[in-house]
Amino acid sequence: MSLSIRHLSFSYNERELLNNFSLEVASGQTMAIVGPSGSGKSTLLRLTAGLLVASQGEILINGINVSTTPTHLRSVGLVFQDNQLFTHLNVFNNVAFGLKMAHQSRSVIAARCEELLDLVGLTEFSQQSVSTLSGGQAKRVALARALAPKPQVLLLDEPLTGLDDELHDRLATDLRQILQSSKTTALLVTHDLAEAHTIADAITHIP
Amino acid sequence: MSKFWTRLASAPALVVVAVSTAIPLVAISVQHIASVDIFAVWQRPGVAEALFFSLWQGVLSTVLTLAFGLFPTWVLARYQFTGRSILVALVTVPFVLPTIAVGAAFLAVLPTSLHRTIWAILLAHIFFNISVVVRTVGPLWRSVDQGLIESAQTLGASPAQVYRHLLLPIARPAIISAGSLIFVMCFTSYGIIRILGGPGLATLDIEIYRRAVQLGDISGATVLGITQTLCIAGAFAWWSRSQGAQFSKIGDRNSARALSRSSRIIVFLTATAFTAPLGALIFSSLHTRDAWSLTGWKVVFGLQDIRGLDIDLPSSLATSLLYALAATAIAVPVGMAATAFARRHWIHTAVLLPLSTSPVVLGLAILITYDRAPFDFRSSRLLIPLVHAAIALPFVMRATIAMGNVIPPDLRHAAETLGASPWRRWLNIDLPLLRPAVATGVAFSLAMSLGEFGATSFLTRRHSSTLPISIANLFSRAGDIPRSTGMAAATLLIFVTGLLVISIDRRSYS
Repeated sequence: MSLSIRHLSFSYNERELLNNFSLEVASGQTMAIVGPSGSGKSTLLRLTAGLLVASQGEILINGINVSTTPTHLRSVGLVFQDNQLFTHLNVFNNVAFGLKMAHQSRSVIAARCEELLDLVGLTEFSQQSVSTLSGGQAKRVALARALAPKPQVLLLDEPLTGLDDELHDRLATDLRQILQSSKTTALLVTHDLAEAHTIADAITHIP
Repeated sequence: MSKFWTRLASAPALVVVAVSTAIPLVAISVQHIASVDIFAVWQRPGVAEALFFSLWQGVLSTVLTLAFGLFPTWVLARYQFTGRSILVALVTVPFVLPTIAVGAAFLAVLPTSLHRTIWAILLAHIFFNISVVVRTVGPLWRSVDQGLIESAQTLGASPAQVYRHLLLPIARPAIISAGSLIFVMCFTSYGIIRILGGPGLATLDIEIYRRAVQLGDISGATVLGITQTLCIAGAFAWWSRSQGAQFSKIGDRNSARALSRSSRIIVFLTATAFTAPLGALIFSSLHTRDAWSLTGWKVVFGLQDIRGLDIDLPSSLATSLLYALAATAIAVPVGMAATAFARRHWIHTAVLLPLSTSPVVLGLAILITYDRAPFDFRSSRLLIPLVHAAIALPFVMRATIAMGNVIPPDLRHAAETLGASPWRRWLNIDLPLLRPAVATGVAFSLAMSLGEFGATSFLTRRHSSTLPISIANLFSRAGDIPRSTGMAAATLLIFVTGLLVISIDRRSYS
């Protein structure tokens, strides 16, 4: 599933946050967007997810223009910088959330959750409350949850920010492997060039 | 603070609760319950029907209030728009408005065909109690990170699925808590039913009043009252433990998200539903015999006498104001002293007793208990303010506790290390910082007392009727002039209590 962003512009309160930005991500590729704070990286992800509406330009997923498609119908997964796990649900039900929204059968949900929890190494935490997880574990759950509904494009917003160095490096490597094994088209936003090199296949700078 | 001072500070609150509630309840239980066949009382005509009606209309009112209340709650919690603060006031004020005045407003707005029907009662209960949903569920929804909702959306959740799978589960404890409080309010509904009820539409409280006042069946009324009190006390204790402390204002800090189309419709419908009864009330107060007239207002202020009306409204207004001031003068210092020095939780629970007792039962118990020398206080003008103070006490204490919790402990520690005794520390540090809580307590006490109807309907004397009692009397008379006068008096009562309650919100959280 390829992602094409064409001539995208966005302004908020008369301030231009993104100007005529274009990008191509090939199917199965992980593209990193690197740039300083305030350069519009997160805005780009929110526009791609449909959480913001661009003032100009278009977004195509697999050749289909989704610029006006509501977020819940866009089939994009987003891993938030601060995870945004549902604290009223346990690990399993967090991962299952997107599958339930798609009205999948219980057996399909169980199998897919098992597969993803295994992929992120959290099988034994399945029934645990997300409030009790460590920073690294929570990040893995957020990743598994975003991957579960098999989104056409996965968006990662500074996914490793706030972790200690050792955990950061380990998760960066794991993330690379998980994205490769799931063959997901991904757009990663980071301010850390080294992190971008570890995880992504290609890097684009945003001024 | 030594134990002696702690006990001394909390003693006045305990005395108020004991004299106004505990002693009368125990006294009537001892006097009547032992000598009456309780099961026979429940088989007397009208009793089972009243219980059944109380239950089903209570459940239905609760379900409908939650169903209709969650929509404006969501919009007020999550959106910023012009007129939002006015809508917040419109939605939240009715809970503290006098029930009798709310009943009058619904008489004014509803077509005659709906008067004295279950629909009128249900609509008034929804209007009255939506505030509970807004104040209990709203702060919780307000605290939901927008990122969580966006997260659900990126996982494929439609707006309806976000509501069902994310927002409702998150708010479930608050919804259950709000529902239990609303049920208690509707189960014990009295003022609204007195105005809007009719044949076959009597709650247990109405049946208690009927038995005690109209049939002279004191023992029967007592049995019903005590049974009801025990049930409500249980429900109230549960409510208080689960969520009571979080019954709070929706803050003013809002995300600047623009209203969606569906939200605009909700805002419009809510504003219409909450202004229509009040608008109709004002309109009816200015109408007599199908023509514009100030007669009702003139009678309220004593500028015009109506032959045969025999209700002295200026005197009722003065009595209400006097009682409200006296109740406030008791409740505020007593409540503040109890919370400032008494940290014991059982005292905080004890003061909930008057709130968890139906006002009708409270009035009945006091009437029966204090009727013999040397305790014949029925004609004492202090009795009604004392009962009003007891009902307002939990609200005063809650406001003080909430504010007290905001004061950083180190501020007190700093004062102590600088040599301040506990008393000087309270006087120089706590009290100035608790000023908003005092204002809240004053406004709450005044509003509670001005609108109190259930207990007062037993305790009032002919020459010392309060305004709500006079309004009820006016609506029991036939004719246009008593009706427009009742509407004018209800408008006045709503206006005064409304202003007080709005001032609570403005002062206490500023």
